[in-house]
Order: sequence, then C-alpha cells, then structure tokens
Amino acid sequence: MVMKLRTRPPVPENPRKLTLARVYELLREVSDPEIPAISIVDLGLIEDVEVGDDNVVHVTCLPTFVGCPALEAIREDIEDAIRAAGAMAEVKFVFDPPWTTDRISEEGLAKLEDYGLAPPSRSRPGAVSLTLMSPGSCPFCGSRDTVLESPFGPTACRATCYCRSCRNPYEKFKEI
Amino acid sequence: MNSQSVSELKEEQRTSLRSVLLGIADDELIMGHRHSEWTGWAPHIEEDIAFSSIAQDEIGHANLYYQLIAELDQTSVDMIALGRTAGQYTNAVICERPNRDWAFTLARHFLYEVAERIRLESFRSSSFKPLADASAKLLNEERYHEMHADAWLRRLASGPVEGRTQLETAIGDALGESAGLFEPYQLESEALGSGFLPSSSMELLHVWLEEVCSRIEDAGLPFNISPAPIGEVVPTASGALMGDASSDESVPAAKPAIQRKDGLWIIEGPLPGSGGRLGQHSAEFQDLWDDLTRTYREEPQATW
Repeated sequence: MVMKLRTRPPVPENPRKLTLARVYELLREVSDPEIPAISIVDLGLIEDVEVGDDNVVHVTCLPTFVGCPALEAIREDIEDAIRAAGAMAEVKFVFDPPWTTDRISEEGLAKLEDYGLAPPSRSRPGAVSLTLMSPGSCPFCGSRDTVLESPFGPTACRATCYCRSCRNPYEKFKEI
Repeated sequence: MNSQSVSELKEEQRTSLRSVLLGIADDELIMGHRHSEWTGWAPHIEEDIAFSSIAQDEIGHANLYYQLIAELDQTSVDMIALGRTAGQYTNAVICERPNRDWAFTLARHFLYEVAERIRLESFRSSSFKPLADASAKLLNEERYHEMHADAWLRRLASGPVEGRTQLETAIGDALGESAGLFEPYQLESEALGSGFLPSSSMELLHVWLEEVCSRIEDAGLPFNISPAPIGEVVPTASGALMGDASSDESVPAAKPAIQRKDGLWIIEGPLPGSGGRLGQHSAEFQDLWDDLTRTYREEPQATW
C-alpha cells in the first residue's frame, strides 16, 4: 500500500542530461522507507544506470524481497528524485542477479547497526535449520549473549531477537 | 532454446506456459490467503507475526507470477488475480482447505513448503528465463518458511504427547491431498516439450514423497497417509469421486492410494487431492473466493 498524499515533482518538458555521477548522487538520497537509515545504493538495490540519448535515466533495480510493499514507493522516490533534478527516470525491477544481503556495502552494514538493526552476516544459512540462523550481536550493547526469537518480524526483511545481556528486544536484517 | 521474454513465444507455447504459471500462482495466492487468516488469532504473537509475514511473502510471489501472466494475456494483474470465476482458479485443493486447527495448519505448511522448494529448484533450469530467474530469487526467501515449518515439526514431534498426537493425525490427514500439489498442469506435455517445465509433475511427486517421508520419520513420527478424504469430496481429474468407495460394493475398504513398496512409491487410481488444476474445487473454496474477491467485484477500479 502506497500513501499518495504528497505532490510529486512535475515531469520536465525538456529533460536535462544528467551525468552518471550526478544520478548516483541523487540515488544516494533515496532510501527504503522501511529502512530509512541507509540509501538504496548502500543497500545494493541498484544494478545498473544508463542515461539514454533522449536523456531518460534508465535505472535497473533488484528487489530485496519480492512481496515487499516498499518496492512501489521506492520506484516513485527514484522517479521523483530524478525529476526534481530536471530529468526523467524509468525504473525497472529484475531478478537476475538475485538481490542478496551480500550486496549491502560495508558502510551500509555499519549504518544499519547505528540505526539499531543488527546487520546480516556475510554468510547465508544454507541448510534447513533454525539453529543455523545466528541472532548476531546486540546492536545496543554489543553483547553476543543473544537469542533468535523468530525468523519473522515487522517487515519481510527482519527477524526478531532478544539480548540477554541488556535485556532489550531488537531486530535483525536477515540473511538472504 | 531459452526464451528471454513473453514476446518471443509462439501462441501454443503461451497457452502451456500460462497454465503452469497460473497453477503455481494460484497455489501461492490461496495458501497466502489461508495463512493470513491467522493474523490476530495465532496461538501467540510470534506466530501471529510469522504467519502474517509468510502470507505477505506468498501473496507477493503470486503477484510476480500474475505479472508474467498479465503480460501473456495483455491484461492487468488485478484482473488475473481477482477477476476470475471460482472455476477458473487452478490451485491444488489442499491449499483451499480451511486452517482447521494449529496442528493441521503446521502439517500442511510443512508439506507445502517442501513441495514448493522442490518445484522452485526444478524451475531454476526452466527455458523461460523470467521463471528461472524468479525461482532463484524466491528460493532464498522460501528458505525461511521451510525453516519455520521444520522447527515446528521437530518441536511438536519431540514434545508432550498431546501435541505430538495431534500433529501425527494432522500429517496423516494432509498427506494424501498434498500429493495434489503435483497434479499435472493442463497442457503439461507441451510445457515439458518447450522446456518451460524441466521435470514432469509426477517426477517431482516422487522426489517430494521420498523427502517428506524421511523428514517425518526422522522427526520420530510415523509416515501414514490417512485413506479418508479430509473435506468434502472433489471430483478428480478423471471425473471419479475420490474416496467415494461406498457407492461400489465390489471395492474393498478404502486404502491409501499412495504406498511405498520395496523402496518405490506406488500410486494407484486417481491422484488424491487432484482436480484443482482443472478448476474443480470444494464448497470451502467458494467461501474463500467470495471473501478474496469481494472488494474487486464491488469496485473493480479500486487501487490498493
């Protein structure tokens, strides 16, 4: 569900030509509304950017979770960011390669932790066992005395964990 | 030959691809809908969140397949997902059965998730690239569903007698009709010929039976398929009424249509739980369909 209460920037009549560097600069200001702490660039969502001869910016994105309701909001946010800079964007989502949490940048992982969301580890659970999914360290006190409460949480990408050291519940970005 | 997109396909290829996509999409939508019925009612809050999340994932996956079908049909996703009559849905009958209780929900969840993984692994080598790509992506997400189902199987199987007994009965009940998840798609031989389907549904059924049997036995539960249908009887693909032995005096007492003999799986008579891929559903599905499509029928232009 996308709330459409805001007014969107108008489609420019004569789109300007943006450089790739400028496009990436603009994309660094766009974030997943459910994870505002990091940009979609740090999240590894951007697979490719091309600026066409007609000045249209073609942005190819990889969806994080296929059923994630934030995807349409992200599409609009990208279009709006490019429009506000006087150009036009066409956003498409593809599945090849599949997005995985390994695409999140090092900087992105650190920002997630600062935000209070335990970052995913660099290795994904392979076998079918809940015990193989690690709760990671507590983003609040850094303790490793943590337990996984549930592999599901308030959004598709989060698991619910508990820190036995500082006794705080916390959420973790799960590895996919 | 690999197909990159819908536009490269010939008319007859489109028809067989559509029937495969529609079967798996409808399974996901209807399973997701049943899971969503636990929102607000699950035994505890973690499970409320778990089933709500899994429902959101499954309906999202259905949406992905419906987008491909909408491209084939030149129509909208809502029209495909919500604008069909009940008899045009091709989900397996097991998906539409009401949740009944927690034990049945978990038993079906486990059987479905294993079936779905086996199906997606096979689709990874589909000659239709959008399906192969989507399968690779979805497998990463589905892993968490199966982990969840597996954890509950083990937890209840190794726990107190009451929960264990209830789970055992529920698995026995759900096993037979779950085989209907592998009822062949309409035009399956064409889909196999084009390489959209790398393996036939019957081949995958054997893989699934072997795996669920060993996982259930590993958890310490017996692998018994209950011979009785679990809901009202639905006509099978051959038109016969499954499990309706009483009408024929010469038929001995009902026995499971699927049995293991000397390490091989023997399937006798019509596949239990089939008919769904042909659009044959239970009255229970009619109730679900009324609920699922009500808003769309009242206001087709509504946006979500």
